[in-house]
Amino acid sequence: MEFASMSVAEIQAGLAAKEFSAVEVAQQSVERVQAADAAVHAFLEVTPELALEAARKVDAAIAAGDLASCGALAGVPVAFKDNMNLTGTHTTCASHMLESYVSPYTATCVDRVLQAGGIPLGKLNMDEFAFGSTTESSAFGRTCNPWNLGCVPGGSSGGSAAAVAAGMATVTLGSDTGGSIRQPGSFCGVVAVKPTYGVVSRYGVVAFGSSLDQVGPFARNVRDAALTMNALAGRDPLDCTSQNVTTDFTANLEQGVAGMRIGVVPEFMNAEGLSAEVKDKINEALAKLEGMGAELVEVELPHVHSAISAYYVIAPCEAFSNLARFDSVRYGHCEAGHKDLGSQYEHSRSGGFGEEARRRIMLGSYLLSAGVYEKYYYPAQQVRTLITQDYQRAYEKVDCILAPAAPRTAFKFGEISEPAEMYLSDMYTISINIAGNGGMSMPIGLGADTGMPVGAQLITPAFKDENMLRVAAALEQVYGTAPVAPAFANGKVGE
Amino acid sequence: MKKLEEVLQDWEAVIGLEIHAELTTLETKMFCGCKLEFGADPNTHTCPVCLGLPGALPVPNKAAIESIVLAGLATNCDIEKRSMFYRKNYMYPDMAKNFQTTQGPVAFCMRGHLDLHVDGKAAGERIDLEGLEPGEQGSGTAANVTKTEDGYIAHVGITRIHMEEDAGKMVHVGGGEGRIAGATHSLVDYNRAGTPLIELVTEPELRTPEEARLFMQKLRQIYLAIGISDCSMEEGSLRCDGNVSLRRRGETKFGTKTELKNMNSFKNLHDGLAYEICRQAEVLEEGGIIYQETRHWDPSAKRTIVMRVKETADDYRLFPEPDLAPYDLTDEWIDSVRAKLPELPDQKVERFCESFGLSAYDARQLINDPQITAFFEECMGVAGADAAKLAKPVANLLINDVTAYLNANFGVALEDTPLSAGRAVELVKLIAEETISSKQGKEVFAAVMDEDKDPVAVVDERGMKQVSDTGAIEAVVDEVIAANPDEVARYKDGNTKVIGFFVGQCMKKMRGQGNPKLINQVLAQKLDQA
Amino acid sequence: MTQHLSEKDVRRIAEYARIGLADDEVVPMMNTLNNIIDTLEPITQYDLEGVEPTFHPIGDLSNVMREDVEVPGFTQEEALSNAPKQQDGCFLIPSILGEGGDR
Repeated sequence: MEFASMSVAEIQAGLAAKEFSAVEVAQQSVERVQAADAAVHAFLEVTPELALEAARKVDAAIAAGDLASCGALAGVPVAFKDNMNLTGTHTTCASHMLESYVSPYTATCVDRVLQAGGIPLGKLNMDEFAFGSTTESSAFGRTCNPWNLGCVPGGSSGGSAAAVAAGMATVTLGSDTGGSIRQPGSFCGVVAVKPTYGVVSRYGVVAFGSSLDQVGPFARNVRDAALTMNALAGRDPLDCTSQNVTTDFTANLEQGVAGMRIGVVPEFMNAEGLSAEVKDKINEALAKLEGMGAELVEVELPHVHSAISAYYVIAPCEAFSNLARFDSVRYGHCEAGHKDLGSQYEHSRSGGFGEEARRRIMLGSYLLSAGVYEKYYYPAQQVRTLITQDYQRAYEKVDCILAPAAPRTAFKFGEISEPAEMYLSDMYTISINIAGNGGMSMPIGLGADTGMPVGAQLITPAFKDENMLRVAAALEQVYGTAPVAPAFANGKVGE
Repeated sequence: MKKLEEVLQDWEAVIGLEIHAELTTLETKMFCGCKLEFGADPNTHTCPVCLGLPGALPVPNKAAIESIVLAGLATNCDIEKRSMFYRKNYMYPDMAKNFQTTQGPVAFCMRGHLDLHVDGKAAGERIDLEGLEPGEQGSGTAANVTKTEDGYIAHVGITRIHMEEDAGKMVHVGGGEGRIAGATHSLVDYNRAGTPLIELVTEPELRTPEEARLFMQKLRQIYLAIGISDCSMEEGSLRCDGNVSLRRRGETKFGTKTELKNMNSFKNLHDGLAYEICRQAEVLEEGGIIYQETRHWDPSAKRTIVMRVKETADDYRLFPEPDLAPYDLTDEWIDSVRAKLPELPDQKVERFCESFGLSAYDARQLINDPQITAFFEECMGVAGADAAKLAKPVANLLINDVTAYLNANFGVALEDTPLSAGRAVELVKLIAEETISSKQGKEVFAAVMDEDKDPVAVVDERGMKQVSDTGAIEAVVDEVIAANPDEVARYKDGNTKVIGFFVGQCMKKMRGQGNPKLINQVLAQKLDQA
Repeated sequence: MTQHLSEKDVRRIAEYARIGLADDEVVPMMNTLNNIIDTLEPITQYDLEGVEPTFHPIGDLSNVMREDVEVPGFTQEEALSNAPKQQDGCFLIPSILGEGGDR
């Protein structure tokens, strides 16, 4: 059986009816990864032992007649972006810097998914240290888009999106600093949620931009994503910025959108660079929602066009500081044999970090230096206030905003190489990280020109993540749940 | 090189201190739950946070924040309700994250001060107080000074006290004496990494090494009183750096300063600063220039040596720490910390003076060491109605004999010695009531400490009671006068000092047991008649 | 493209960030950084007088602290498990000399 292509509900129904055991789910899911990942390369490490160990616990609970005690994700094949620590696994961040690093502790988000009964299949490919939008910057090879193996899966959580799209996992976790969940979710045609900053603990997730990073789920249907959100959300005493969230994210999935006010942002819809096929699909989705009784309201976000600039100030500064710890002393790539520590530092860091990582560290180091801080960093944080206020004003009029998740569908490998141009692929997602509210990408079918998946981005007020899930569930009524990519459907492995 | 006194005639020294104190009385580190323990095996008190592992996040220790607010309240600081932590970015191997979490422009405690009482000889280093009457405030360079009977009070501003974390420890191998210079490699232990550390920065308002020493001493008394640190300068839980510059008397512009390190005792602090002041004066007087540099005080060579020349100001890429929520302290919370303030050293001095009639000088001596302070209070309790009468002799016993004993037996706590408050009061009473002489008192004290016996028992055993029998004393005095006609003649010539000689001779004959007061009386009388 | 950074600046920044740059990497890095810095200009265009910065996108959340209670940590072996070099229970590093040596 193709367990990893099933929904959470299907797996749990089968487990409850004893049609199969969790150990069978684990074994066959691992086999599936081993077969299908040859074409996709979504996984950096597969963890059969951990999968079996977790499955046995679920089976024991079922034998004791208590499946419910296992948690909402009992028996569900899951996998984690490789910037998330899980004791005993490699956590490489897809970088040579951490190639041999073995986690001595577990991230809270990973722990919560495992506590909820998830079966860990392994760790997923990404752009090195999450710097990128294509997963091409992984030091261990690129991940392919299951919908077209010649295309990028998006990034930085490209492995997380591709694993779900190729039917190799039911749920995966990714992290999103400027769009790294939503953009690959859009490119790979899966449900991809970046919760409001503070909903999910960041403890144990290797930091990129500390004030921007947020962990969230990938799934092929909205309910699975919402169930995972339930497992993930809530205050973690180990993360000062995590908040007390007790929302049941599945509660209003069936309520429909009648009476909801959906925001449309002219700045987004008329932006240069938005492809016609994406624009058409977004307009179609808006029309469908209107048809279901939602009210479409135009809202202005006058400062949002500065979000990319603010982001490329704030994120590299935080990254520069966060990546300073990779110094070859306590862990990580070490080029030994140098007579003084300074040389070891420089050789180890330039040898361990890839080009984009080095670029961002350099940029951050410059932007924080005396005099420059006042010119860019401080104003960027002020602009952040203006962008946040833009959203707050918009949400006085609407419950949720709908926008493209990315200006275009997945592009071919190597098609974009200039960093400044690449940064534009996050133009629709970045302002949400800047403001800190929630956003998700919802698959709404394929683009007319490329035949590749298109994602609608739903953007909610801070800590109203249930709003976007509700709208997503309504869209799911129209467009159906996200399918496994055709080349991987029904057990196929990408031929 | 000229002597300090001479240098300070021509030059005004401008000194500012940066004083780091580890909050050693807490259970755990600043941003993680690792135990604080000095001297444990290397890297046995670590976790993802203090090892700076990828993905780890800090969570501040509430008790540490309470401690720094307590320190601020005890040093007359304004408590800033709104402040943040910042990251100070620079790479150094003992700092696991390669940034230090510290505070930015606004620290928890801002704009405080301490008043230093500088008395006697210590006041001599200050030469700009001539012509001031007691109670009068100085002007110009002495604007922060008020003259007193036997010295002055210096009002020294505190710029700020901020919260930060300590670094790990490094051992340098292969070089001489564990020095970094010449080392082939170094070993890093992160047990100390993340220890809560508060840094106090003074205004550059100290003018003499003695003031610097007194500031440090007073601050240590305060920190010990509020119980936030063990303040061990030897183990490095209290550390002091000094910034020193000179300017000609009358000049208002600051000179170039040097930063002085490794002043790990009160004596080193004083001597290091004194040397550096003299060194700078010599350089300047020879037409040289002072470089902005960090210098290391070498107590054995008695000189400061260059560690590093600062060509440009350090650029630490300071920015607000995104992983830590900002602070927005409430009045209620600050008041709840204020309620925990114990009696502070200044208040204690005042009470000792008022309640027991001690001089301010004696009272300040008593509060130098908290165990002495506590012992004194216990003695006063035991003395009951006699407290005021016995306060001065008890204080003398503690300041002189007990302190000398503790200095000679380094590391021994007063409470672990045979001396109890009861025995101390008993001993002092024996002297006060003239049962034994104060000289005998020294012997009894030594016996109490050596043999763990009550003073009365020692006196009984040794038959040490003081002879206050006038008849017996008169007999001895007669004998001594008869045996020393030359000295008698000198006395008659007006050299009254020889009476000391006679007293000594009498005491000798009485094997130290004669009542010196009586001997004096009888001698004076008999010599006048002789 | 505006020349925000010179080659010398790039070398200085790299030194501070401890990123070793080969001589032939300096100019390409400089050009890339200058390009990126150009795109940051919108930040400098606003009148931001009186606008509070948002360093922490966490609303009113403040004073987040923990109790002073010990939590078990690593054994020495766990602490050193990823150490590139170790000796006597410590992390081993080459000579620091030439680094400045103090702070």
